[in-house]
Amino acid sequence: MTAAVTRRDFMARIVGIGAALASGAGGLAGQTGQRAPSRSGRAPGDTITVVDSANLFAMDQGAAKPVRLPPKRDAAPSMTSDARDDLEHHIRCQCGCTLDVYTCRTTDFSCQVSPAMHRDIMALVEGGYGAQEIVDAFVSAYGERALMAPKKSGFNLVGWITPGVALIGGGIAVAVLLHRWDRNAARRSSAPVTDALDATPEEIARVEAAVRGDHDG
Amino acid sequence: MILVGELSLWVALLMAAWATTVSFAGGALRRDDLVASGVRGLYATFGMVLLASIGLWTALLSRDFSLEYVASPISANMPTVYVFTAFWSGQAGSMLFWALILSMYATVAIATSRARNRELTPWAAGTLGGILLFFLATTCFKANPYTRLDWIPADGRGMNPQLQNPGMAIHPPNLYLGYVATAIPFSFAIAALITRKLDAEWLGVVRRWSLLSWFFLTIGIVLGMWWAYVELGWSGYWAWDPVENASFLPWLTGTAFLHSIMIQEKRGMLRKWNVVLVVVTFLLSILGTFLTRSGVIESVHSFAQSPVGSWFAAFVGIATVTTVYLVTTRLRDLEAKAELENTISREAAFLYNNLVLCGIAFAVLWGTLFPVLSEWVTGHKITVGPPFFNTVNIPLGLLLLALTGIGPLIAWRKASVSNLKRQFATPLTVVVVVAVLLVALGMRAPSAIVAYALSGFVAGTIVQEFYKGVGARRSIHGESMATALVRLVARNRRRYGGYIVHAGIVMLFAAFAGLAFKRDHDVTLRGGEAAELRDPYGHLWRFVSQGVSTSQLRDRDVLGVTLETWRDGKPAGFISSEKRQYFDSRREPLFQPATEVGIRSTPKLDTYVVLAGARGDAAELRGSFNPLVMWVWLGGFVMMIGGLIVMWPQAERRRAQGGYAAVMPPAGAAAGSEAAVTV
Repeated sequence: MTAAVTRRDFMARIVGIGAALASGAGGLAGQTGQRAPSRSGRAPGDTITVVDSANLFAMDQGAAKPVRLPPKRDAAPSMTSDARDDLEHHIRCQCGCTLDVYTCRTTDFSCQVSPAMHRDIMALVEGGYGAQEIVDAFVSAYGERALMAPKKSGFNLVGWITPGVALIGGGIAVAVLLHRWDRNAARRSSAPVTDALDATPEEIARVEAAVRGDHDG
Repeated sequence: MILVGELSLWVALLMAAWATTVSFAGGALRRDDLVASGVRGLYATFGMVLLASIGLWTALLSRDFSLEYVASPISANMPTVYVFTAFWSGQAGSMLFWALILSMYATVAIATSRARNRELTPWAAGTLGGILLFFLATTCFKANPYTRLDWIPADGRGMNPQLQNPGMAIHPPNLYLGYVATAIPFSFAIAALITRKLDAEWLGVVRRWSLLSWFFLTIGIVLGMWWAYVELGWSGYWAWDPVENASFLPWLTGTAFLHSIMIQEKRGMLRKWNVVLVVVTFLLSILGTFLTRSGVIESVHSFAQSPVGSWFAAFVGIATVTTVYLVTTRLRDLEAKAELENTISREAAFLYNNLVLCGIAFAVLWGTLFPVLSEWVTGHKITVGPPFFNTVNIPLGLLLLALTGIGPLIAWRKASVSNLKRQFATPLTVVVVVAVLLVALGMRAPSAIVAYALSGFVAGTIVQEFYKGVGARRSIHGESMATALVRLVARNRRRYGGYIVHAGIVMLFAAFAGLAFKRDHDVTLRGGEAAELRDPYGHLWRFVSQGVSTSQLRDRDVLGVTLETWRDGKPAGFISSEKRQYFDSRREPLFQPATEVGIRSTPKLDTYVVLAGARGDAAELRGSFNPLVMWVWLGGFVMMIGGLIVMWPQAERRRAQGGYAAVMPPAGAAAGSEAAVTV
């Protein structure tokens, strides 16, 4: 029959999913200035209620790294807030959510990583850095994983061009197929009908005369 | 009942093994008694899986927390409806759900087609039994919902509140119904390849079940988009997440198949290609499941990493090798019975349609898998997200939209110049009018202008086809407009149902193009304070906060804000958004705080408000103006209606007269002449 799962294994599995969230579990109460009920301090042997703070994904709230550069001389904001939001769509939040910074910070309001990255982006914009410079700064801090799409260079260029190459290849294959069919169709229509008939010229002439006779009659 | 269910699961595994072995043996030895036994074994498997499912539902509804699966997705204070839907919300339950649907489908498919497809039955039943055996073995040995805990918790951990949504209750079953239905065409394709009976007989079954799969995948995908939009609070509905991609892939290849099979039915062409599409659609369904359950791909939705991944990989490998062998050894049997007569014909248009659909499918699959390949080659993790998918797929999508309009306008076999002129004149006029109008109205986004112009083109073709068909009926039968329209559709369900699906596609594309004009705003408002924002149409909106409120319910604390809205000085109603912290029955906090989005939806514009949080009585809000989003849901609904019309059974006599498969206009005749013949 079906094997049993021990309490230790089950708790490890359940709590493991949400463990990464522990530091950010202040939740709603934390945001409204209250304290969330604590899950710690339980005495050994207490009846355990199985709880978990797992979201749709497991977040690493400590994943943010400082991305700071000294402001440029006579710095002025390098872009509008709309352009900045657009830039944030191209930089990935590092909490583990797979979303970009803008989407994460405006969607999962309990994430602490995307607001930190947003603050860094705002500081860089204020410091006069352009979009590419900001992207480069994030890549040097986090690696290429900071981007929502790979750079169009090195091996990752293969990622960008392969769909196009495949489509062109498929298009050529279809074109060749169509051309072949077209050629065969033309050949069939231009071939004399008598070639396909197992009959002597006299027999064919008799058939044609009969057909004419039918029409005339 | 729970014990009965648990036992039934194991008996079902044995039954599936019996059905597989005996069916194949019956086919190989040509023994009808063995085949009959195998088929009965398949039916018995369904009965056993049903009992196992009832057992699990009983355990869930009675909150039997001695089962690990029950203690995971539910808690004592969860609404009953979500306790019921918890059946498919976790790994083990969803595996059993797969097996339940598959065994039910297998029973129906074999029972309804057995008489007509006697030679295919043993092999199709054996293949279905084999697939069932895989799912049941995976369920029994790797993800068993009847796994017991060695103690009984006081309460379960409960379901993520974001999943406690009506859309999420019905979205997964629809996707499963779609995914699993691909197994039936696959099984009949395998049977046809083994027996070399690759003529028209197997096509009927395959087309019906492919349509059913497409129908449920469409509903499932649109429901998933709706859930993401109303529940996740990011003001979008598609993010090119691997799980979304996994559902989209079989939809794309399934759609390609539903077009290319028309060419085989009508002309006996593309026989190899259709077998490949059937097989690929099934394998993509399984591959998607593998990707989301193996932990290989990062996804916002992924099930936890689990050992079922390696089993799925092995299954995909075996299925691929088997089908490649069967197809390559039967290439001669799959030779086309006819050849294309002209490159300007509907057959050629369908070929291009297949090329683009499969091109999109390849691009989506490639983008989904590329992070794994890149990490393997370079050692660095990368992300392939929306910027990649949008760059690659938007041009292809627009090309597909154009072909959606072009295909139905071109005659079968060979289109004459006069035919093309007559058919394209009105739709092309619509293209020009729409484009000029949009530019004159100030639209400057090139991709949006192209999308709306092409949407106008396709809409023009659909209206033209209906207009011609209704006109023909009225002149021949003297019917009223309404009667002619109803009878036109009723007697040509595949053709006009297809056009209705195309109309749904037009609505979707028009809605997607609307995203180019989306506007987001972050504001902080105290009670009584107002914010003025302008929407993409230029209207001035005024939002006045009614203050922050808090309340406590049975299972959650709620922080809410209500905004009174005016548009251009006129009252436009109230919008509320909430932030919720759920608790279990012991008032321990569950999960992250969840957001309830406030949406005011009209055909032109969605006003979308999300409460980020509150400091004192100041509400931190994000407001978005999302144009045309309602058309996504309407488009999905219209596609569903069109799909229903296409699938609706039609009497044999009428089908012979009315189906386009039976109607062949002479070469060079106008495409519209079909309508005249079939009215």
